[in-house]
Amino acid sequence: MIRTLWYVERDLRRWLRGRINLLSALIMPAAWLIFVGMALPIRFTDNYLDFITPGILVLTMLGAALQGGSLLMFDKILGFLQKFLAMPSPRESILYGKILFITLRGMIQTTVILVFAIILGAQFLDPVLLAQIYLILFIFGILLSSITTTVALTLEDHDTYAAFNAMIAMPLFFTSSALMPYDQMPSWLAVLARLNPVSYAIDAIRDLQAGIFPAMTLAGLLIGAFVVLLISVIIFRRATV
Amino acid sequence: MAMIETFGLTKRFGSLTAVDDLTTRIDGEIFGLLGPNGSGKTTTVKMLTTLLTPTAGDAHICGYSVREHPRDVREHISYVPQDMAVDPKLTGRENVVFFGKLYGIPRPRDAAEEALARMGLLERADDLVRTYSGGMRRRLELAQALVHDPSVLFLDEPTIGLDVAGRRKIWEHIIGLKERGMTVFVTTHYMDEADHACDRVGIIDRGKVIVTETPGMLKASVCRDIVLIRSDDRFKGTFPEGVTFLGRTGNELRFEVEDGDEAVLVLSRLFAENGMDIRSVSVRKPTLDDVFLSLVGEQDEQTAFDLTRFRTMLRRR
Repeated sequence: MIRTLWYVERDLRRWLRGRINLLSALIMPAAWLIFVGMALPIRFTDNYLDFITPGILVLTMLGAALQGGSLLMFDKILGFLQKFLAMPSPRESILYGKILFITLRGMIQTTVILVFAIILGAQFLDPVLLAQIYLILFIFGILLSSITTTVALTLEDHDTYAAFNAMIAMPLFFTSSALMPYDQMPSWLAVLARLNPVSYAIDAIRDLQAGIFPAMTLAGLLIGAFVVLLISVIIFRRATV
Repeated sequence: MAMIETFGLTKRFGSLTAVDDLTTRIDGEIFGLLGPNGSGKTTTVKMLTTLLTPTAGDAHICGYSVREHPRDVREHISYVPQDMAVDPKLTGRENVVFFGKLYGIPRPRDAAEEALARMGLLERADDLVRTYSGGMRRRLELAQALVHDPSVLFLDEPTIGLDVAGRRKIWEHIIGLKERGMTVFVTTHYMDEADHACDRVGIIDRGKVIVTETPGMLKASVCRDIVLIRSDDRFKGTFPEGVTFLGRTGNELRFEVEDGDEAVLVLSRLFAENGMDIRSVSVRKPTLDDVFLSLVGEQDEQTAFDLTRFRTMLRRR
């Protein structure tokens, strides 16, 4: 376990020293919150900021996972992975470290969103609510970053991964319940949105806002994350031995 | 127990046999594996460092089988691959301490300090690696590799892309490690470096190790020293024993001799006694290049590049 944390520490140091990366990672989500959350002419609710914030939080985690997916691929391309694999520490700790780092980075970004949202008037100050939101985002982050890291590891190069990234990012976001409730969507979109895993995380946070504990959704996300992580480990072992 | 022992080590990628039945024993020395591109050097190193599983045969590193006890093997070795991989956004010290932590050694900071000092990097240890030269980065990789005090060090093309001074420094360090008792397995394209630094070399071609010997013995086996003498006069006497006259081109006479340095004196004296004027004398000693070319030949790639096979190899690497 401790080896996993050393890998996380390495990535964290590298990320914090890349000023442009850091700035873009923090400003982008805030821009979404202001330009989408406050500028759209919405009629179905009086407080769109409260409605859109869960969507932006989950979008941010999605973006962080997609961006971070290529990290392990770059470690492989640049020769770091070979060195790590020739070390006695459990090889899976390389994968766990990467997934944990991507998730933690996403959580740092979502914290910025939450701070902005609270400053702009959204009601998220309840510590229990915040803890539960973080739990959902963490599980969702593990689920997504396991998928993206594994996909990137099996693809040939960074261009192919960028194409995959572009192919799934926008459709996943726009066919989710991020921007509007199901009853406001066209019926075909509502069907897609209910199937979209991104909606599960968003709906879970909205349930928490409404005072409902989304036990089933949380369990679904947890099982999903566990299964995907298991598949990731199997593919990682195949790709590295 | 030798530090590295291989028993019929073989690796196949589909129909391609990358390493074919390698059996050798390496202990307390610098062993250089030489061979043309694609001959199986890197595949051999990858099997010995447990990055690839052999198709057949086995290898024991420090007494541990790469098949049965790969983790024990990894405890006792370090591997520096051909691609220079150090984190430019971390300092030299952070790079080494990170490896120390991954190896699980008790005091990684102290060990990093010692490894950096050994590689002459202590003064720049707290600078970001992006400010390091190529030679410094390679020495930093060596510091990372030495942080847990391994028994066997594997180096894949350690001096590739470095300038002359950088190369010399790296080899000084590698020789120093051997003198401290470490076994070093190195692959290189640079014959002069292998000649200078390796105790023994193996020449591999198309997956087969053709010969394993000391550089001196290999050179002696290929040809003797050549003495070249330029003179406008004709020689009418007889040559001493051990000197073979190879022929004359223009005013240049060529002789094959056992020891070029001694033969130059003998031949110069003989020519002077026969009243000949000598314009110049030179000795050409055989190099590992000659050995390599006589054993492997100059290979042009005759077959078309097989992308599918290349991808399969890359994926499995």
